[in-house]
Parts: sequence; structure tokens; C-alpha cells
Amino acid sequence: MKHDQVPAELLERYAAGDPGINPDELWAVEAHLEGCASCRERLGAAVQRQSPATTALLARVGDRLAAEIAISTTMPRRRRGQVLGRSRWLLPPGLLARLAMTVLLVLAALSLDLVDQQGRGEYPSLVLLFAPVAPLLGVAAVWSRRLDPAYEFVMASPRAGLYLVLRRTLLALMVVIPALAAAGWAVGASPARWLLPCLAFTAGALALGEVVGLSRAAIGLAAAWVIGVVGPSMLTATSPVLLAPGALPAWAALTAVVAIVLALRRDTYTGLRSGH
Amino acid sequence: MGAASEEWLVRRVADGDTVAFEELYRRTSPWLAVRLRRRCADDELVAEVLQETYLTVWRAAAAFAGTAIGGSAVGWLWTIAARRLVDAYRRRTREANLPPTVFGPEIVPAAEDEALRDTVGDEMGAALRRLAPELRQVLQAMVLDGLTVRETAVLLGLPEGTVKTRARRARIALREALS
Amino acid sequence: MVRAVDAAETAPTSYAWAIHAEELKVRAGRRMAVDGLDLRMGTGVHGLLGPNGAGKTTFMRAVATVLRPAGGRLTLLGETVNGRFDLRGLRRQIGYLPQEFGFYRRFTVREFVEYIAWLKEMPSRDVPGAVQRAIDRVGLTDRADDRMRTLSGGMVRRAGIAQALVNDPTVLLLDEPTAGLDPDQRLVFRALLRELAVDTCVVVATHLVEDVAAACTDVVLVDAGRLVFQGLPADLAAAGADVGATGADLAADSPAERGYSIILRRHRERIGAQP
Repeated sequence: MKHDQVPAELLERYAAGDPGINPDELWAVEAHLEGCASCRERLGAAVQRQSPATTALLARVGDRLAAEIAISTTMPRRRRGQVLGRSRWLLPPGLLARLAMTVLLVLAALSLDLVDQQGRGEYPSLVLLFAPVAPLLGVAAVWSRRLDPAYEFVMASPRAGLYLVLRRTLLALMVVIPALAAAGWAVGASPARWLLPCLAFTAGALALGEVVGLSRAAIGLAAAWVIGVVGPSMLTATSPVLLAPGALPAWAALTAVVAIVLALRRDTYTGLRSGH
Repeated sequence: MGAASEEWLVRRVADGDTVAFEELYRRTSPWLAVRLRRRCADDELVAEVLQETYLTVWRAAAAFAGTAIGGSAVGWLWTIAARRLVDAYRRRTREANLPPTVFGPEIVPAAEDEALRDTVGDEMGAALRRLAPELRQVLQAMVLDGLTVRETAVLLGLPEGTVKTRARRARIALREALS
Repeated sequence: MVRAVDAAETAPTSYAWAIHAEELKVRAGRRMAVDGLDLRMGTGVHGLLGPNGAGKTTFMRAVATVLRPAGGRLTLLGETVNGRFDLRGLRRQIGYLPQEFGFYRRFTVREFVEYIAWLKEMPSRDVPGAVQRAIDRVGLTDRADDRMRTLSGGMVRRAGIAQALVNDPTVLLLDEPTAGLDPDQRLVFRALLRELAVDTCVVVATHLVEDVAAACTDVVLVDAGRLVFQGLPADLAAAGADVGATGADLAADSPAERGYSIILRRHRERIGAQP
């Protein structure tokens, strides 16, 4: 039950530094003053009346402060919420570089597809073939000593964990998937065909990364796909079975299983390892 | 400045507005000084803490002004001041140079202002008054001033175990008084 | 700032030592870098000395909960670092300065420490004040808003100390904190250590014996992953005044360094290791 004002006499005694104030009243006054600007204003006046020592102290400090701020500057202005925003959505420079590389690769694949379409159009779409593993180049940089300069700090921190990795991965996907969608739209490779495999590979890299390291897992899976599916597919100029519409339910099931495995093993990517 | 809030003043300070800084000082320093002087009997130390506190606000104003931070300017001011006070005591502890602790008053019941006593509640108020000064001191440091056990131990010059024991005894005493 | 104090905070302390290692074994690469270490550290500044490869950094990394022990037992603030334990909660109370670290070069010092404060899950309202305080404590106030890439090596190191301090940790681990610091800055750093000694368990791994002698409440000497000596800096210096000093020992500049040299040599002779 809060009252509006501290009674005048009590305020004067508090300002004077009176040691005889009842403990409960003292407590109430101090708790109240923290929330009430008008009582603080009144206290200011009371201090001038009641306590020359405090007034002198305040004047001394005020002078020193005025001298200090005349010669030192405040920090640069920043946008609202910049600390949290910057930290929460921060992408290490290595990841940004990898994402840029990925977009370039998508563009390269798109160009080759367009050239092919101008010609005899006999090859399957490179954009489609590349799409499932496109994010992996970026995912490899999400939790990497080489590509994240602050890795030492991140992996030793309380916030290290699957959630942090997922957030960075999500940001990577938010760059790569629209790029793929745009490129795919240009050559008729709709997201319906590659989105699920894309998610399956991403989740798979995260899960496998717990065992062999995220970088290795991501690059390994990407390499396996390129060698095992993209290569033969281009050589034989046929669309891979794995990307046929009939295979989509299998991809969906795979993604679900991997996602469940990830969710169950939430104590991962904590940076605590066995010293190799 | 009229009815401008302290938070608004801090945003102005973040733009380098020294007039706003002076106004912030004028409005909040009496409260801070009185409160600090009730915890530390050494005026030079209090002056040091005050100066460091306001310099912190000056230097980091834009960081404080971020809306995501939240809380009241007065709240931050106290937190900064309390931590700096503990830092100063930490330095003095090494030199065995602790300023005398300021105890609360001995139990002096007096029929003063009913109005404010209600804020704390009759039983709670009575319980606070009956509480031994050393227990009340720990309670004030931890609950009212927001210090941790470690910080309270440094400020009061006590072992951490003693601080914890007194906090527990204080809580028990208050619970008994309220039941 | 009125706050609620929960029972856990005022419950009696359940542990006697902030850091307690029993027969601790920790692997680094293929080597067992920490090999049966018995060590107890409480409040105060502990200087961790030892030759290269003695296991100092590996031990620090295990205490920072970055390396899992391969054997023995490590108990931090009452929690055994083994199997399931409250990793997050423990890490919030630890501050760690690695021997080598990187950072985002475009960040200012303030932004760097703020980022670490976020990584340490500090409440956001505490961050601006805590960051300024940490920066002030290491003497980087004037450079707080300069980009990290404009800083000298010693200043970067100090920024590293600031990030370790920002969350007011109960356990502070500093691996070679004075590397690159000039003598003036080392004095300031020692004053900081003396301040921290009051209520923090600080472990400083260093090659500079003088740093240890001047600012530590406790000296720990390790070799080949085992404890060789633990005692007061005065005891280390006393060993240096011993008549058993050989030519090699006398080449050292100070009693503390001589003591270090003698104790290490005697230990190796005792266990029959190659010098």
C-alpha cells in the first residue's frame, strides 16, 4: 500500500541524516524515494535546509563533474536496442563470407542452367541439384574455430548451446533459401522439389556435427551429395531419383527423425569436449 | 525541463547535452548522497562514489538509453553507486582501512507518522523495529539495496557465512512476526 | 533496488573450496597434460607457475568447463564437473581469459565487452553499468569507443581481462593476463588483483614469477601435470634463499625466481624425471 508523499517532517529528518528514525519508517522512506520523483525533488530542497555537509559534498562533486565532462565525451549515439539486437542476431564474419559465396554459387548455377536452356536443354537443373546442400557452406561456419574469431568466447559461455547454433543456422537459411527460390523460379525448379531435402541436410549436418564437428559434418555431407548424386546426374544427364517428387515423403520422414534426435539431445554444442 | 523524466534526460545526455546532465545531477544526486551517507561514514568515499557513478552515466549514456534495457534511471543509478561503493570497500579491505559501518538505530519506538508506517504494514513494521540491528543491516543490504551475499560481505566487513546466517535469521524472525 | 532474496542464495555454503581437483587427469591432444593433479583453491589470488607444457593452460580450460576431465574429479563451487551438471549455471559464475583469443575487429571495446556480457546471459539492464565498470577497472576508459583493431597488443589483452570481469565472477581464470603489458600497466593490474583477492577465487597462469610474488596470496607450482608446490609467495622466496642453490639457480634474478628454480629441480630429481 503506497502513499503519495513522504510526510514533511520525516523527510526533513531523513535529509538531516537523523539516526533516530524508526527502522521501518526508514525502510519505507528509502523504498518510496526510489520510485517517486516529486519526493526526491522535495528531498533536494530539504537537504539544502537541513544538511550543510551534504550540500557542500554535492557542490564539490558537481564541480568536479562539470570539469570532467568538459574534457571527455560521451559515447557515440547508437540506435535503440542496438546491444541486444547486435548480439542476438550477430553473424560472425566467416559466416557472412560463406553466405556471400553461396549466393554466388547459386548465381553461377543459374547462369549455367540458363545457358543450357538456351541450348539443347538436356541437363537437369544445376540449381535444383545444388539446392539441397546450398546452406551447408554457411552451416559449416556457424560453429567453427577457423571462421568465427570469437569462437573461444562463444563456446565457453553460458549461452553456448544448440539454441545459439540454431539461431545462426536460421539466419543462414533466411539468406540462402530466398536466393534459391528466386533462382529456381527462373529455371522452373520450384521449392516444392528441393526445400525438404534442403532442410533434411541442414538438420542432418547439425545432428552429425555433434559427433564429428559441425564444419566437418556440413562439408562431408555436401561432398557426399555432390559426388554421389550431382556428379552421376550430370554425367548421365538424368534427373536424380532422390529429387523425384515420389521421394519427398521419405525426405520429410528423414527430416522429422533428425529433428527429433536434435531436440532430444539438447545438451549439445556447449563447447565442452574431451580434449582432442 | 518541466515534467521531463530522468530517462528522457539520459537520452538527452546520450546526445552530449551537458545541460541535461546537470539537470539529472540536480534531481537525483541529493537522494543518492543522503542514501550513501547512511551507509558509509566517510564523506570523501561518498564523494568518490558519486563522481564515479555520474561519470559512468555520462560515458555510457547511449547504452543506458537503449529501450531494450528498461528499468528506471534512478534504479540504474543506485545499482552503479552500490557496486562502486562495494569496490571502494574492497580496496580498503586489503589495506585494513574500512570506513566505520553505519548501524541502524537501536530500537527506539516512537509514535510517529502513522501514514508511512502503513506502507510497511503494522506487523512488518513492528517486526523490522524489533529485529536486531545486525540482522536488519544485512536485510537492508540485500533486499533494499539489492546487493549479493558476496557484496554484502565486503560492505559490512563480514564473512559470507555470517551474512547468510544473519539473512536466514532475519527471514525467520520476520516470518514469525507476520504469522 | 528492492529485490526478493531467495532461500538458495542464503543457504549455507555447501563447499569448502571454490576449485577442488582430486587426481585430476585432462587430455590435450594425445598427451595427458594434467596427470593426477591434487589441488584446492579458495578465495584469493592463486599464481599458477610452471614450465611450458606443465599443464597450466589445460587445467584452466578444464576449470573453465571447456575440457572434460579424463579421470579423477574436479569440483567447482560445489558442483562436480562430470556427467550431468549445471553447466550454464556454473559458467555464469566464471570469468575466463584464454591464452589466445580472437574478436570481431570492427567492434569497439565497449561492443566487444557487451557482446560477451550477452553471451554470459547477464540481465540486460545490468549490462551498460557492468561494461563501463569492467572497462574502467582495466584502465581502458579512454579507449572504450575505439575499434578493437586500433588497439595495441597490451590493450587487447586488457579488453580480454575486462570481458572476464564483466559478470563479476566468483571464479576468475586469467591465462597469461600480463602478456604485452608494460610495467606501468602491470602495476595497475596487480592492484586490481589485490582488490579481487578479497572475495573472488582468481587463478593467474603466468610465466612471470615476479607478478606472482607481488600480487598473489598463494603460489601453485605445477610440472608435467602434477602439483609440485603450493604455498605463500614468501615460502617460495624462502626456498630461493636456501644454500642448496646451484649456478643455474643463481642466474635467476630474484629470490622468488630462484625458489621456483630450486623447487622445480628438486622435484624432478625426486621423481627421477629428465631435466
